[in-house]
This record gives sequence, C-alpha cells and structure tokens, in this order.
Amino acid sequence: MRVSCFQENLAKGLSIVGRAVSSRSTMPVLGNILLEAKGNQLRLAATNREIGINCWIGAKVEDEGAITVPARLLTEFVNSLPPERIDMELAVRTQTLHLNCARYDANMKGIDAYEFPLIPTAGDSSGDVQESAGMVQVTDGMRIELAVTGLRKMIDQVIFAASSDESKPTLTGVEVSFKGERLSMAATDGYRLSVRSVLLSQGMIEGDLTVIVPARSLGELARISADADEARPVQVIVTQARNQILFQLGGKSEETKGAFHRVELVSELIDARFPDYRAIIPKSKTTRTVVDTAALLKGVRVSFLFARDNANIIRLAVIPGTGEHAGHVRLTATSTEMGDNVNEIDAMVEGETVEIAFNAKYLIDVLSQIDQPQVVLETTQPTRPGTIRPIGMGEEEFLHVVMPMHPPR
Amino acid sequence: MIRKIIHLDLDAFFCAVEELRDPTLRGKPFAVGGQPAERGVVASCSYAARQRGVHSALPMSQAVRLCPGLLIVPARHQAYGEMSRRVMAQLRMLTPLVEQLSIDEAFLDVTELPETGEILARRLQVRINNELKLSCSLGLATNKLLAKTANSVGKAAAKGNGPPNAITIVPPGQEAEFLAPLPCDALWGVGPKTAERLIELGLHTIGDIARWSEADLGRRFGKNGHDLAQHARGIDLRPVITQRETKSISQETTFVRDIYDGAELQRILQGQAEGVSRALRRKRLTGTTVKLKVRWADFTTVTRQSTLSQPTDDAAPIFNAAGKLLEKVWSGQPVRLIGIGISGLGAEVRQMNLWDSPNEKEERLQQTIQTLQTRFGAKAIQRGDRLSDLMDETPWE
Repeated sequence: MRVSCFQENLAKGLSIVGRAVSSRSTMPVLGNILLEAKGNQLRLAATNREIGINCWIGAKVEDEGAITVPARLLTEFVNSLPPERIDMELAVRTQTLHLNCARYDANMKGIDAYEFPLIPTAGDSSGDVQESAGMVQVTDGMRIELAVTGLRKMIDQVIFAASSDESKPTLTGVEVSFKGERLSMAATDGYRLSVRSVLLSQGMIEGDLTVIVPARSLGELARISADADEARPVQVIVTQARNQILFQLGGKSEETKGAFHRVELVSELIDARFPDYRAIIPKSKTTRTVVDTAALLKGVRVSFLFARDNANIIRLAVIPGTGEHAGHVRLTATSTEMGDNVNEIDAMVEGETVEIAFNAKYLIDVLSQIDQPQVVLETTQPTRPGTIRPIGMGEEEFLHVVMPMHPPR
Repeated sequence: MIRKIIHLDLDAFFCAVEELRDPTLRGKPFAVGGQPAERGVVASCSYAARQRGVHSALPMSQAVRLCPGLLIVPARHQAYGEMSRRVMAQLRMLTPLVEQLSIDEAFLDVTELPETGEILARRLQVRINNELKLSCSLGLATNKLLAKTANSVGKAAAKGNGPPNAITIVPPGQEAEFLAPLPCDALWGVGPKTAERLIELGLHTIGDIARWSEADLGRRFGKNGHDLAQHARGIDLRPVITQRETKSISQETTFVRDIYDGAELQRILQGQAEGVSRALRRKRLTGTTVKLKVRWADFTTVTRQSTLSQPTDDAAPIFNAAGKLLEKVWSGQPVRLIGIGISGLGAEVRQMNLWDSPNEKEERLQQTIQTLQTRFGAKAIQRGDRLSDLMDETPWE
C-alpha cells in the first residue's frame, strides 16, 4: 500500500471513526483503525461490534492495500502533524506502516487487515466492494432516503430522553418507526418521553417497519451529519434480518479541507419490545399554559442553580390571570444549604391553578431542543405527567411527556 | 453565660437489660455477645466479669480464657433499642436539649432550668434508677468535654462490685485544674496515635498539654492541635446538638463462617438492601450513592461505590447497584463480612415513573410492610427467601 492524503482530511476521518473504536476489547484488532487505499480514496474503519463506522476520504493511491494500526497512536500522531501532505507506505512483510509528513516520520506496527471484522456497507455508486478487506455489502433490506438536517433535528429532539442505564437495555434505544408516510422516533428513560415524527416525501414501499436503534448510535450519526453535505440525502438501510441499520452520508465538496467523501455508520439494533408509550400520553388536561420558550428556559436554568444539590427539584406554580394581572408561572427552588430562589414568567394560562414539581434538568433538556418561540405546557395533577410541545407543531409532530417529582409525603 | 451540661451514661447497659429479664444473672460474671466458636466479641460485660479483666470489644474466646465460667448471653439488640428509647424519652421530659451520643449515652443542656445542676442530675438519676430500674452515671460541668470526662473519671473511681451509679461534678472555674492530672488519652478525642505522639513530646498529662504552646500543637497536629490546646485548658464551646444530620445509612453482616457462595452473598445483600430501604423510609430520606463493603478472609477490606440515576428509598435499585459492584470485586474468594451503605441523602422527593401504575401497587405494598415492621419489628414480615437467614445483623451508621 502506498497512499498520500491531506493531514486535515485524515484527522477529520479519524475523529469520525475513532468514536467506534473499542477501548477495552479482548480482540486487539478492535483497538485498531483499518486503513484501506483503493481507487482514489482512503477508507478508514473502526468497530466495537455494536457500532461500525466506515469513512472514505480523498487520497492519491499509488499502490492499493490495507493495514490496521492502533487507533490512539495513529489519531494522536496525525492530530499533532502540520496541515500538509501525509505519505504512507506499508511494509507488507513486517506489517509496519511508515508515515511521513513534513519533517515528521513514524513507523507503526500494525495487524493484518484480514483480521479486522467485516463491516456491512451500502456500496458506492460503482457498487464494487467485494474485493475490500473488512467489508461486506448489504444487498437486501429496506432502503429509504432522509434529509440530513431534518434527521439531525429529530435525533436531537429525542435522544436526550433515552436512558443511559445499561441495566435497562431497551430504554437505551430509540424506537424508530416508518409507518405509511410518517417517520417517528421515540425515546424514554421511564421518567420522560420524547416523540417526534415527520412526513416523508417518499413513503415506504415495502410496508411498515419498526426498529429500536441504540441512542448512542443515533448520537454518533447526528454528530457526523454536522460535517455532511446537506444537499445529499442520508441513505438508510435496515438489513433483511432486522438486526442492523446502516446510514450513509455524503461529504461536502471534495475540494474542502477537513472533509470526507462518504461515511457509513452501521449499528446493531436492540432486539426487544419497546414499551407502549402511547398508553401513557395524557389524554386530558386541566391547565394549559402558553409561555415564551426562551423565558421559561432561562427561568428554569436560574432555578437549577439552587435545585442542583436538592435532587434538581423545582416547583412550578401555574397561576391564571385575573382581570388586571396577567397569568404567570412561578418557579421556586430551595437548597437547604445554599439558599432559595423564586422566578416569575408571564404566561397565558387557561384552566385551574396548579402546583407541580419537576426535575429541572429534564425541563432544560427539552426546552433547549425547541426552536419555536412559544411552548405549551399541559398539566392535570401534581402526580400526573405534564406535556410540553412547541406552538406551531402538531401533537403528532413533537410531544414531550415528563413525569413530576413526588411531593414530600 | 455559664452553662450546665450533663453527660449521662447507662452502666453496663446491655447487661443491665439482661439482668432485668433474668434476675438470676445479677452479681454473676457474664458477657453479652457472640459465641467464641462463632468469632463473637464482647459487646458488654457485667461488673463481676470486669473485675476479671474482661472488657467490651474483647474477642469472646479471650474473655472466656480470662474468666473461666463466664456466662455468654446472646445480644438482643431490639430490646436494647427499645429500652434506650425509653431512657431518652425520660431525658427529654427534663429538657428538649438532648444530644444522643450512642445507644446508652447522651448530653443534656440544662442551663435554662432554674434548679442547680446537681439537683437536676440527682433527680434524673433517681428517676432512671426507679422508673426504668437501670443504673446510670452522670457527669456535670460547664461544657460537654468536661461533663463526659468527669463522668468517666467518676465511674472509674467508683468502689464496690456493683455498677457505679456515680455523679461527678466539676464546678465552674475548676475545669483546667480537674483535667491537669489526668493522662493525655483521657482527653476526649485523643486516640492511641495522638497519645503516642504526645508522649514523644514528653507530654504525659493533660496539664502538660495545657502548658505546651498552642502554636506548636497547631503546627504538629493541624486543626486538631488547636482543639487539643483548647480542650486541655478545659475550654469547649461545642453546643448540645439535638438533631444530627444523617450522612449515610448502612448495614453489614459478619459471617459465622466465611461465605464462598455467590448466590448466598447476593441473597444477603438483598436483605441488607431491604434494611437500608426501611431505614431510609423511617427517616423519610432518599439516597443516591450505593456503597458496597466486603472484607475477605484475610481481613483486607474493599469498598466500591456507584451512583444511581435517581435518588431512591427503594430496596430494588439499591440491591441492583450493590449486586453489580459485588460481581466486579468478587471472584469466588471467601468473604468474612459484607455490607451495603447509601449516602447522598436528600429529602424524600422522588422522580415518579411514567409507568407508575404497577408501582402504585408496589408502593402500597411497601407502605403496608413498613407499617407492619414498625409495629411488630423487622422480622414480622420479610421475603420468603430470607427466612433461613440466621445471621446477626448490626447496623452501622
């Protein structure tokens, strides 16, 4: 293998695939990144078995070939290099990769590329991947195209509600369902629920489909998509066996420094039944409060300063307006050791006065993902869930349900 | 203002309770604690046993050697707890300013009461002697340090074979004088390590410490050094604290025989998690950090902790966390002691679950169990898989 590429592109590619490297694995090769020079591209790949990432960057290939080298060493070395051309050459007999950039030279001991696990790929337009190391093409399954920005926003608006508790594996995932012309995502950690859906320009041809994708994988996808070309759609493939999902993103124009040609992220799916969240969405309300999103977010953030050492608890008193006074929301937080705080925010309140306690962090999580200027908060009792959604979006488009905190008995 | 502080200590408390149950024990050498074959230690011993050199915390096997014919009475912590509550209730009838130090010890601040400290102390002693049939010793002074020290000195000086039932008074102004001849380790807060270092400096009595430069003690012992200098001069400004904030709640079990069986360890942890959960609910608290303590057969002790995603007072998440921690540290080696603690305590506020409906049922169940256990004791109702449990559980808080 003999290949050259720009330091900025290699560094970008490594930062993308680096997130899939196994930090602790019994298989040493999983701590490595695969480099494969082919055609006019250099492919970087890493996998931790749950998630696999392939990233293609532009390169000048003189001799095709492949090798795996330790991820951390390669990444830290490349990040330290000047923004110039890097030449790499593999000594096949010793499986040692020589790198040169400006006046920096290094030899890295690698592991044979054929020991690297196979990572499924969608294949590029030429479709010819059979010859590549560590790669197997997905030939069947369901395919769909989604807009990059829309997908990223959806992910951001749901994944924070997923659980990080590994003892509840199902809740660490996001339920992704394609039904008719609608794509929905839902995540819940048992304390709150975020549901987001959009109409697709193209419906599902092959019928409905529901899968649970690890929230971590979607988080990585959202992160990568920030560097993707927004004009090109994301290709989504769910394998025939319904055990993996693959996302393919196109990179920004090829002249750009610090860019990739193409990234594919493959994730295992969580094989479980997602809890029936529709059943816990409140069907009625006794108080409807419309409030400025930014003002509420700011108020909650201030209260959080006092709530954070008291289980994040903040109390909301929702008070309807009278003839002369506008309705308002009063936020109270108390810390036994540090002091207390009260903030008031103007609101349009319909219905009864209600006092309800929430985890401030949960409110911050959802409010900071809402772009619309106003939100509506609907509540019934202090022990029943509240709902939050942006004004201007239907309930079926975006809905957040949050369970209150138990008032002291 | 000159304060009037009383330190009260029940004489050989566990033994006194046992003598009430079984009057034939009176005057005999006996000890409350575990059997020597079960690696028991002396929790409390009668005055007859004390004369033979037996003292609390001594391994029972050694106690039996010192005092052949020593009767061993198994501990009944529930009975002691119950009696302790009655004693504390008596104290609170005198003043609400009661600081309970342990199961059988308390400070009272009686400054505001019109009678002299001596009259109050005598009256209190008589009441506990008569109404609860317990012997107790009291120390009276102008601060907690002197009251406690006076009480220990008075008890030690008591003559006779029975319990001391002493009252020792340090009049205002004589604090330093009272302390001066006592050895350094008689000063509350001076442990064996500190005593050793003081002796290296040539300081043998509390009076020696009082004469030493405070600045030098500060340099050598840090903040403790300044406290040391103040205390040696009989100065102690600490107030009587009626309510101490609970920082953690825990439960641990030392095994009669080392345990090798992982399933059994998990089962014991389950029971301890339930105990911790009960204590949390009783105190209306929730906790976030679960700590596992394991002592191996060679007495080395490891602790591991993990933080829960939500504060809880429920046994299940506490057990889950502790069980996982155990899996990480344990690989089949014999275990001598195991325990669970929870810290990060906060008010009883709890994040409710969206799928709370089955939990409401669970909560009602928990409340019912708690009510039963409060009324009839922890053993009144418990999990079926713990019925074979014969372990002695002692709470560490």
